[in-house]
This record gives sequence, C-alpha cells and structure tokens, in this order.
Amino acid sequence: MNNTTEIFVNGLWRDNPVFRQILGLCITLAITNRVVNGVTMGVAVFFVLVASSFIVSVIGEYVPRRVRIPVYMLIIATFVTLVYMFLRAYFTGLSQALGAYVGLIITNCIILGRLESFSSENGPWESVVDAAGISAGFAAALIAMSVVRELLGFGTLFGINVLGSGWTPWVSMILAPGGFLVLGLLVWIERSISPVEEG
Amino acid sequence: MNWLKESLNDLSDFTAGRPYLGYATEVVDTIEAIIFAPTERSQERPFLRDFIDVKRYMALVVIGIVPATLASIYFYGWRALAMILVSYVAGGIAEVGFTLARKEEITEGFLVTGILFPLILPPTTPLWIVAVGIIVGVILGKEVFGGTGYNIFNPALVGRVFLTVTFPVAMSSNWVEPLTGGWAGLTKYGIDTVTSATPLGQFANEGTLVGLKEVFLGTIPGSLGESSALLLIIGGLFLIVTKIADWRIPLSYLGSVMAFSYLGTFLWPNQVAPPVFQLLAGGLLFGALFMATDPVTAPTTKGAKWVYGLFLGVMTVSIRAFSGYPEGVMFSILLINMFSPLMDDMVMTHRYGPVQKPYK
Repeated sequence: MNNTTEIFVNGLWRDNPVFRQILGLCITLAITNRVVNGVTMGVAVFFVLVASSFIVSVIGEYVPRRVRIPVYMLIIATFVTLVYMFLRAYFTGLSQALGAYVGLIITNCIILGRLESFSSENGPWESVVDAAGISAGFAAALIAMSVVRELLGFGTLFGINVLGSGWTPWVSMILAPGGFLVLGLLVWIERSISPVEEG
Repeated sequence: MNWLKESLNDLSDFTAGRPYLGYATEVVDTIEAIIFAPTERSQERPFLRDFIDVKRYMALVVIGIVPATLASIYFYGWRALAMILVSYVAGGIAEVGFTLARKEEITEGFLVTGILFPLILPPTTPLWIVAVGIIVGVILGKEVFGGTGYNIFNPALVGRVFLTVTFPVAMSSNWVEPLTGGWAGLTKYGIDTVTSATPLGQFANEGTLVGLKEVFLGTIPGSLGESSALLLIIGGLFLIVTKIADWRIPLSYLGSVMAFSYLGTFLWPNQVAPPVFQLLAGGLLFGALFMATDPVTAPTTKGAKWVYGLFLGVMTVSIRAFSGYPEGVMFSILLINMFSPLMDDMVMTHRYGPVQKPYK
C-alpha cells in the first residue's frame, strides 16, 4: 500500500471521523433520518473539506500562527456559502430539509480539525487525498446511519417504498432517540470489527 | 425460607411412603428442585448461610408471577400465552447468541425478563412487536452493559419504553376490556379489538374514576399482567415472605405514592387521582413488587432503598398527573434506576465516611 492509498484509507476507516473520532455528531444525528439528506450532506462536506484543505496547504506557511484559526474559518465559510447558495438555487426542497445544518458545516469540528492537524503541515497533494478520505468516511457514516433510520422509520430508501405498504413505521427511528441508538450500535459494530488500540 | 424447606421436606416424607399417591412424589421433588437446587454453597468469602444463587432466585420470582400470568390468560385468552412464548423464544435467541459470542455461561436472569416483559404490554400487541421489544430490551438493556448483573436499567422496561416511543399507536391506544364470567378467555384465543381506555387514561382524559372493586379484582382494561391488584399482591407477598424482594422498596414506593397523591388531591383535584385509586390502578403494584425490587438495578443498602422508593413515588404521581402519559411507573423506575448507585454511595459515605475509590 503506497502512501497515497494509506492516507485515503486512514480517513475512510481507521480515523473515520464519526465512528472513530466521534466528531461532527450534531450534523450526523440531526440529518440522517433520510438517505437523500445523508448523501447531500456527505457531498457538501466533501466539497468544502477538499477545497479548503487544498487552499490551506498552499497558503498555510504564509499565515501567521496567531491568526490561523480566523483565516481557516474565512476559507471554510467561503466554500460553505457557495454550497449553501448552490443548494438554495437548484435543490430548494433539499435545502429546506437540511435547514440550518448546511450553514453549520462552518463550525464542523471535522473540517477545522483536519485543516489544523493535517493540511497546514502537509503538501497540497497529501492534503487533498486526506480530505477526500476523511470526507468519504464521513459520507459513508452518514449513509450507513440514514439507510438504517429511513428503512425502519419510513420503510423507504431515497423515498422509494421498499418494505411494502404494510410496514409499521418505527417512529422513534426518525426522531432523536433513533439517531443516538443507531449511532451507538454502528460505533459498536465498527469497533468490534477493528478494535481500538489503547494508547 | 426455612419454613418452606421444612414443609416441602415433610411433604416429600409423606408422599415417599405412600405409593398409591402416584405421581405426587415426583411433583413434590420437582418443586423442591425448582426452588432449592443447586445445593452448593459459596466457596469464597463472604460465606453465605443460605445457598441462594441466580437460578434459585429467578425461579422464585417466576413462581411469584404465576398468579398474574394465569389471570392474564383468563382475562385475555390464550394469545397471552403466545405472547409469553414469543418473548421467551426471541429474547432467548438474543441472550444465547451473546453468551456464546462472549464464551460465557448461560445465566438464568433471562427467565424473569422473558416473562415480565409480555405481562407489561397491551393485550393486543402484535406478536412481532413483542419479539422486537424483548430483543431490544435484552441487547440494549442488558448485554451492552456486560450481561446479567451489570445492567443499570431494568431490561424489560427498556424494551417497553423502546416500544412506547417506536410504536405509539399499537402501544397506547389499543386497550381492550377483559373477558369475565364463566370460562372467560380460557376457551378463546384472543379478543376482537374493541378499543377502550384504561382507568388511568379515563381519569386523565375525562376525569372519571372507575370503581375500586373492579380495579382491585382486575376486570378493567390494562396491560396483560397488571390488571388484577389482588393476584399481584398475592405474588408479591410470596416474594417478600421468601425474602426474594426486599419489603422496604414496595413499602416506601407505595407509601410515597399514597402520601403524595393524598397531598396532590388537595392542591390539584382535577389532575391528581385519589390515593387508593392510584395505588390499585395501572402498573403501580406490578412495578413496585416485581420491577423496582430487581436486585440488579435497585440500591443494595437499606437506607438507599427507602430513598429509592420515596423518589419513585414522587416521579410516578407527577408523571401521572402532569405529563402527556396517563401512566408513569415505567418512566419513573427507569429514571430512578440511574440514581441507585449514587444513593448507595451516599449512604455508604454517610455511614462509613468517604470511601477510597479503587480507581484514580
């Protein structure tokens, strides 16, 4: 496994932001009651993280250490605003379903954490690969959660009925308790597959 | 416990010399085996005078719940038995799966959860919902904490609360009138759904009180095993006399409900039902005698048991009177379960001074 693949797989699985680092939970719990929301949010975070990682890795060494956080925020906010306006213009329904959570990507600790710990210290290529891996891991987690929740809560996937009309909706799955339960169970499964090495 | 053992011994001596009693000898021996086997005592300190273990403990609780179980079949037909069987099979598979995966011994703790769980469900609950509930109860209520003896919450109530928030329609609006008179449910499989309201539901929505006699005997709509106060008291007294359930918890829980509903009826007569009605209606007796006394989730010190019951009573009366749910026993027991270790800790600190923690 060469360096590039290793960085990508690290983000996708071994350092998975949701299951392993337990970051970005506000968004994860709030929007995963439908698969389409999960996919949209995954794509949005992918775009924001990859773009801002690239910029930070290029300009990182010229930014004075004391003001780096405001600078990072400004860069992230720029891309989040682009995503927000794009969704508002072309996918109005989705934008309304996601509500404030698109704007809240700005304060998502996954993004700031990656910029601070990886992109500011590595070259552009590694940073982009790392950002892609981390956001692919985030998207995978969102999709895994929303598949379980939408399937049980509505009996549908992407809004298409898959479990038949006789399906009794599991109401708690589309509400907050279902989010917490499914997240906990998935973290449990993920850690049973590859246990955390206690440091 | 000794009187029970002695009388069983006498009975066994009596039957042994009389072959014309036929199977009676075996029946007596079986009862003795259920209650008193195995006979090994503890090999490690502290040495116990009685050799009670999880299996014997659970067997006695199951005996204590038998009257209410038989009543549920009488009131609601053989479907009640089907619900219990589904609960045992589905929950048993989850339990055995976990013990095998963890390479542990199979414990008998599930025997109690498996029968208590269907008894706190509405009689019309679809069988697949029973299965979902018991599996969630076993896994999320017990196994995630490490199995029997490690759980913070009562597993049967975890399953019940999951079903309450997941299937609100099936769980809170399909109550039926029980069958009474003659053979009642003994000749039927189930009841045709005629929806009706529980006594607590009627009080919460219409402000009407059901007669105390009906509530005491159990000829009222309610969960499978909770309707007959009389039979629950009989089973509960059995547990208290055999010292399986500590008498302090039911006494302080029921006393606290009586006291606070007595106060409450003066202050908010439209919201708080009168004390005796509160005592007999709904799941209070079932919860106080069979759920709150669960040795794993209840406090272990005597002082904490009194406090535990007091808080349970306050919560139950408050939820019944001021929340959207007419019944609050399930929520109160789960909420106060969380505080039992804290209550124990406070009693120990008060008694013996600050305890040196085993961890840093």
